[in-house]
Amino acid sequence: MTEKIKLANKVEAINWNRIQDDKDVEVWNRLVNNFWLPEKIPLSNDIPSWGTLTEAEKLLTMRVFTGLTLLDTLQGTVGAVSLIPDALTPHEEAVYTNIAFMESVHAKSYSSIFSTLASTKEIDEAFRWSTENVNLQKKAQIIESYYHGEDPLKRKIASTLLESFLFYSGFYLPMHWSSHAKLTNTADLIRLIIRDEAVHGYYIGYKFQKGLEGASEERKQELKDYTFELMYELYENEVQYTHDLYDPVGLSEDVKKFLHYNANKALMNLGYEAMFPATVTDVSPAILAALSPNADENHDFFSGSGSSYVIGKAVNTEDEDWDF
Amino acid sequence: MSETKELPANMQGLSYNDLNAMLNLYGPDGKIQFEVDRYAARQYFLDHVNNNTVFFHDLDEKLEYLVKHEYYERETLDQYSMNFIRDLFKRAFAKKFRFETFLGAFKFYTSYTLKTFDGKRYLERYEDRVCMVALHLARGDEQLATSLVDEIIGGRFQPATPTFLNAGKAQRGELVSCFLLRIEDNMESIARAVNSSLQLSKRGGGVALSLTNLREHGAPIKQIENQSSGVIPVMKLLEDSFSYANQLGARQGAGAVYLNAHHPDIHRFLDTKRENADEKIRIKTLSLGVVIPDITFELARKNEDMYLFSPYDVQRVYGVPFSEISVTEKYEEMVDDSRIKKTKISAREFFQTLAEIQFESGYPYIMFEDTVNRENPIEGRITMSNLCSEILQVSSASEFADDLSYSKVGKDISCNLGSMNIAKAMDGKDLEGSVDIAIRALSAVSDMSYIGSVPSIADGNKKSHAIGLGQMNLHGFLAREHIYYGSEEGIDFTNIYFYTILFHALTASNKIAKERGETFDNFENSKYASGEFFDKYTTQQWVPATARVSELFDGIHIPTQEDWNALKDSVMKYGIYNQNLQAVPPTGSISYINNSTSSIHPVAAKIEIRKEGKIGRVYYPAPYMNNENIDFYEDAYEIGYEKIIDTYAAATQHVDQGLSLTLFFKDTVTTRDINKAQIYAWRKGIKSLYYIRLRQLALEGTEVEGCVSCAL
Repeated sequence: MTEKIKLANKVEAINWNRIQDDKDVEVWNRLVNNFWLPEKIPLSNDIPSWGTLTEAEKLLTMRVFTGLTLLDTLQGTVGAVSLIPDALTPHEEAVYTNIAFMESVHAKSYSSIFSTLASTKEIDEAFRWSTENVNLQKKAQIIESYYHGEDPLKRKIASTLLESFLFYSGFYLPMHWSSHAKLTNTADLIRLIIRDEAVHGYYIGYKFQKGLEGASEERKQELKDYTFELMYELYENEVQYTHDLYDPVGLSEDVKKFLHYNANKALMNLGYEAMFPATVTDVSPAILAALSPNADENHDFFSGSGSSYVIGKAVNTEDEDWDF
Repeated sequence: MSETKELPANMQGLSYNDLNAMLNLYGPDGKIQFEVDRYAARQYFLDHVNNNTVFFHDLDEKLEYLVKHEYYERETLDQYSMNFIRDLFKRAFAKKFRFETFLGAFKFYTSYTLKTFDGKRYLERYEDRVCMVALHLARGDEQLATSLVDEIIGGRFQPATPTFLNAGKAQRGELVSCFLLRIEDNMESIARAVNSSLQLSKRGGGVALSLTNLREHGAPIKQIENQSSGVIPVMKLLEDSFSYANQLGARQGAGAVYLNAHHPDIHRFLDTKRENADEKIRIKTLSLGVVIPDITFELARKNEDMYLFSPYDVQRVYGVPFSEISVTEKYEEMVDDSRIKKTKISAREFFQTLAEIQFESGYPYIMFEDTVNRENPIEGRITMSNLCSEILQVSSASEFADDLSYSKVGKDISCNLGSMNIAKAMDGKDLEGSVDIAIRALSAVSDMSYIGSVPSIADGNKKSHAIGLGQMNLHGFLAREHIYYGSEEGIDFTNIYFYTILFHALTASNKIAKERGETFDNFENSKYASGEFFDKYTTQQWVPATARVSELFDGIHIPTQEDWNALKDSVMKYGIYNQNLQAVPPTGSISYINNSTSSIHPVAAKIEIRKEGKIGRVYYPAPYMNNENIDFYEDAYEIGYEKIIDTYAAATQHVDQGLSLTLFFKDTVTTRDINKAQIYAWRKGIKSLYYIRLRQLALEGTEVEGCVSCAL
């Protein structure tokens, strides 16, 4: 890092009894309820399944996850933190700290997957690849440069595009495996990450729209142009990255549709219209259905823990409850 | 799948995975696309099954090949003439069986059917599997084999996974599903338990173990204080044992451990499932169950503390293991006894902790100890349940020599299960006949099972011939008949159905005892022998309370008081063959093959997302559901716990063992709501509770568009 990230200039005690924006509390509660750690998922159940992948598929999987690790690291150590100084409400700051922490949990989760499935040599090899892959490095650099930039709304745009768009070329693969009955526990873990990222992208996009309120038409137009420009830039790079990764297994076409679908979602989170027409966003239904962030999946003790449990609210029972 | 039309233009080129997943996405008209799943099933056969099935010219060639290459057991086939076998297969194929859903077909071909040893090609169709199961279980009885084929293909009876998967194959695991082991408070017993767990998971389904008798953390060893490390390290040993052993890779080993609520390690035990538990104590794949006596509820009602008693001291004072003591009965006595070391916690806080852990993990299961023992017709004490919380049988302790050999073989529990499809059984109109065949098939499994590596199991099985006839598709049946789950008619039907099943199950077991001149061991000291069991049926009349239910039973005989009197006389005279007869399991996989809703639960979702270890995410539409009757498929989260518990209570009163009962909550509930449901269940006479399931809906704005499972 060449320059210091800007810190908030003035810190006030956060009073959760004075809420300015209900969305802050709603999202905070949701994030807290969703808290999880990778140790919860019995990843080792995937070892036999991992053994059925071809060498090319294994290599692809390792690379996809190192790519995701890089993005999550970026978002955890720089991205979410860089949003704090521009927070509109003190509670928003608190939400970003939660987001930052969970991004670090995500980054660590990939390491759990690696250490369960692969050898040290393979892991080191994959990380080496991640530092050398031009397109991967480029997308990290693009985003990082905006995090270090001056415009707070542009930071939010970059952050939303990362959360809602850039992750998904990677997320495609575990969803693809799981719809083919492979690495299903890993898919559970990734689904927990997707569950979090969906909320993160939504929230940051929402805050962007809040920040836009009251801005001049000129400024609005500037930001919109900027968003679409950045999206194009990232998209071009993402297409390269996708071909690079997925060509050997012949999945690039479907992954690209998935990119279009998520690009539209990202733009929607920012309050903009879709960029890609429905004809190029017809993702394979198996992937789309596998994405569903709802926790209503059914499973039993033979099939791992699923992605469905949450931390609950404790309330004392009263005498009337025990009236028998 | 020849009757299904060609794929519509907009679905051309989609794979069966895609077509199946479209079930979870609304169509352009905003309605669920039920037809896509039938296309998916068809496409699965065209693209996958047919291409990967080994072809034989005729049955003779096929059987010869399979026996010669050690796929089928020669002994199974040698019990019959080739003519009979040919006729039987012909009869089976003539039924024109078709899988109703993609998941049904997929599950069968991935998990049940016989494959070549390299795992790449299929050697059996569904009909082949059914015939082999029937031939194996009938042991040369042509009549029984024929009836079994009719019952299984007709969908009325479905053997549990281990039986349906293994019967007739030469390379196979056991036919039995489920084992329960005691552990006593000594190193030999613990070591034996680990060994037995390995042996049993290698051979079949799940193992549950009771930890109640183990001395607590900090208890003395050889009178030196603070030596024991309590139950957690034993749980770790067991967890690792289960991950190590699996049944020829067919499914993972799975285990559960039960602990009495008044054991001093109870909090440590529960905390192993906390989200932030340390890796050293965290339990990931082992299931937990807590045994709760009535007294715990009484103490919570009065908002008092509950005492936890050292099993080490209890055993020294009473001369029997802790689990053999009724805590409710001896509570005050133990509180006053200075020889028993005790600690105390708040009873209400205990229940709240229980609910907190359930929120985070779905565990523990709960067994209501005193309810279970009050309703137990067999002499002895029930101290634990199993992996699915429906097996409730008596056990007794084993003793070991230093070299781990048995100095006294106690009685441990095994149970083989099979379930009836309520809708199909009712359509068949012959409940007596269907139950008779089912009981005979399950008894055959017990007779044919001998687990030599665990003598206490082998011995227990030989003495008890215990079986568990289950039921499934209650919700599917009710909805098809336009009855709401948990409505007055729904509960009335459940009551009368289970009442009738019990009568026929006892009749069948009585017939077998009469035919063979053999009852289960210690029949003479049971409530069946004394006639006491029958009081509630001979002194009280059981008839439908609603006109709708009378109508449903039109043409089906509902046993009368006279019937019961006659049965009572016959049972007291000839006995019954099976120590235990009924247990209602959760029915995962087999209900998909059988096109049923699971067990007697409401559906978890209209389109269920199923995650199975071996098959990933697959979508399953509720049986008989269409866009017209969809309102009757309210899911378990909408229905709420009262109606589910009321339905189970109606069934429980006619079931000698237990019923797996999952409670479903939306994520807006608190621990208090979960506690209220537990209190309600206990008051209603429920014997055990299985998982707690929570449904969290996506935050508005983050859901996948047009997704069925996202809609409220």
